[in-house]
Amino acid sequence: MRVILETKPRKKPKIPIEAEAIIPQNFLLKNDIRVYEGNKERTLDEIFYVTTEGPAVSADQVEIVLSGETGVIKRVGEYMNAGRIVIEGDIGMHCGNFMSAGEIIIRGNADAWLGREMRGGVIRCEGNADHYCGAGYRGEKRGMRGGTIEVLGNAGDFTAEYLSGGEVRIMGDCGDLPGVEMRGGTLIIGGDCHRPCGNMTGGTCMVFGTARALLPTFVNAGSEEREFCGQRVEMNVFRGDVANRGKGTLFVRKK
Amino acid sequence: MKVEDVVCPFCGCLCDDLVVEVEGTRVVSVENGCTLANEKFLGDNRLTSPIRRAGGAWQQVSYEEAIEETAAILLDADRPLLYGWSGTHGEAQSIGVHLGELLGALIDNTSTVCHGPSIMAIQEVGHPGCTLGQVKNRADVVVYWGTNPIDAHPRHMSRYTTFADGFFLTDAFLERKVIVVDVRKSESANIADEFVKIEPGGDYAVLAALRAIVRGKRSLIPSFVSGVSREQLFRVADTLLGAKFGAIFFGLGLTMSRGRYKNVRNAIELTAELNRHTKWTISPMRGHWNVYGSNEVFTWISGYPYAVDFARGIAFYNPGETTSVDVLRRGECDACLVVASDPGAHFPRACAEHLARIPTVQIDPHVNATTHLARLQIPVAVTGIDAEGTAYRMDGVPIRTRKLFTGRYPSDTDVLMKIYDRVKEEKGHG
Repeated sequence: MRVILETKPRKKPKIPIEAEAIIPQNFLLKNDIRVYEGNKERTLDEIFYVTTEGPAVSADQVEIVLSGETGVIKRVGEYMNAGRIVIEGDIGMHCGNFMSAGEIIIRGNADAWLGREMRGGVIRCEGNADHYCGAGYRGEKRGMRGGTIEVLGNAGDFTAEYLSGGEVRIMGDCGDLPGVEMRGGTLIIGGDCHRPCGNMTGGTCMVFGTARALLPTFVNAGSEEREFCGQRVEMNVFRGDVANRGKGTLFVRKK
Repeated sequence: MKVEDVVCPFCGCLCDDLVVEVEGTRVVSVENGCTLANEKFLGDNRLTSPIRRAGGAWQQVSYEEAIEETAAILLDADRPLLYGWSGTHGEAQSIGVHLGELLGALIDNTSTVCHGPSIMAIQEVGHPGCTLGQVKNRADVVVYWGTNPIDAHPRHMSRYTTFADGFFLTDAFLERKVIVVDVRKSESANIADEFVKIEPGGDYAVLAALRAIVRGKRSLIPSFVSGVSREQLFRVADTLLGAKFGAIFFGLGLTMSRGRYKNVRNAIELTAELNRHTKWTISPMRGHWNVYGSNEVFTWISGYPYAVDFARGIAFYNPGETTSVDVLRRGECDACLVVASDPGAHFPRACAEHLARIPTVQIDPHVNATTHLARLQIPVAVTGIDAEGTAYRMDGVPIRTRKLFTGRYPSDTDVLMKIYDRVKEEKGHG
């Protein structure tokens, strides 16, 4: 089954839409799907032109395609456990929150908290991701725990904060403090970043560009080779963060 | 008439030893107050009645009309924002949160531009704090980090630290050590025993280095960390470790510089590490008068201290998403009620521009920068001068403020209650 959701013009287009109901399993069950526009509850067809093509007997067979002004739609794919969502443009905050399986493809940019506390599945963002990609909610002790997030562009600050499992791969640059408080999993940064892995207690981070303002609380532990985009790269290895009992590993490309 | 033990309605110190002389409905003199307090009490730039923008001019309207119009604006909105609250008393803040819930609004206070990051850090790692009385009576080492109390909280040093004798410190000026950490040599740094000058944005690294030193890893520290020499870091760490009772006070230099809540978290974790050796506490230098109270009141009612979004009928909180600066910058909200604060003066330009585009109503005694963005302003009494109520000091101690005289203005509580009742009636709960 293919469900195409194209946004309708709205009188107040900047008011965000909260749409955690847009997940494949809900369309399979043909639930009365509702979303929120500000403080007003709306039916799906008040916000979207809805087209459904073909049948499906399981959520794995459901593909949702979102198009139009999708950059203000939040929480798409929250608790998704099967199927596929394709976003033709940008997507709002919290896309793929807590998802455990399935695939989300974003052709444009993703707003903050992409794949927040994700458990499994794959998110691929072909543009940039904003702050807190793969991170946790405020005060949570764990961010993403499993699955893969791949961002082909850049990512903002606090990428993979509290990362506990799975892999976050940013092909471009990251902002400030990527991997801060990380305790497990793998963070790969293809470009530059600033102050990586502050207060990390576990996990592995690899920076294949320049790590600016490296914190003084990382201990040099030699060098090793790592592979990135099919090439072997010589990396400095650091252990930290020794401001706490940090047992994390940070690889930074040798100049 | 002279009124003694008056509570100052300006900053988070809530100094409660002022003597204010009143003649009729006018304050004529203030004793014991700092310059900021004197300005607050003696300032006389109040609106005389509610005003509404009419074309290029202002027209006076009655309180009834203004309240009716405010309720209509808020009821018509799909994403209303209720912002401010720090300059008023807890009773009014409480009505504000209930109004927010009734409307499905987003309600936020001035923490969003001051110590919101401190609260986020506290939510991550807790808060080893204490009252200012404990500091006054016990602290032999005081650290001011990213704050300049002489300018921003002028009586903090004389009431609680450098110049205040306490139970265990009978000659405080000589017995207390004061360390100031900042990016520039401020007035407060001039009277400190040690000044640590950090490169802008370097607080996180210096705090991490101090944590490592306290953990016994001195050998790992490079010769300079963000402009601070290793020798000075060792000396400061030794002073911290040698304290019998230490108190760290931090300001916006920590919360609003790069790293924000992670800077504060690092400072809290340094405090926790020091507590393995001796006694240390850490406290934010809250600036807006009753901002601590707004965090308390919001939390009692909604579970969250600021940036509370009731759009879905339940409280949701996520700084960065539901904070007023972010919501305004993204142009999300379609109406705004400002109470007891001045976002027109403090918010980034893009936010002020959005406030000017949407119907903004301000409830405030004075003409300020937000007046120029608003469509309607309702003047009210000033809490602590001609209105009474409860406020919280920066260390979380609630203090009851008194009315010095009965003026002709309604209080924030009176006006907000009428708006609440009107909204409730329209919503069919009346």
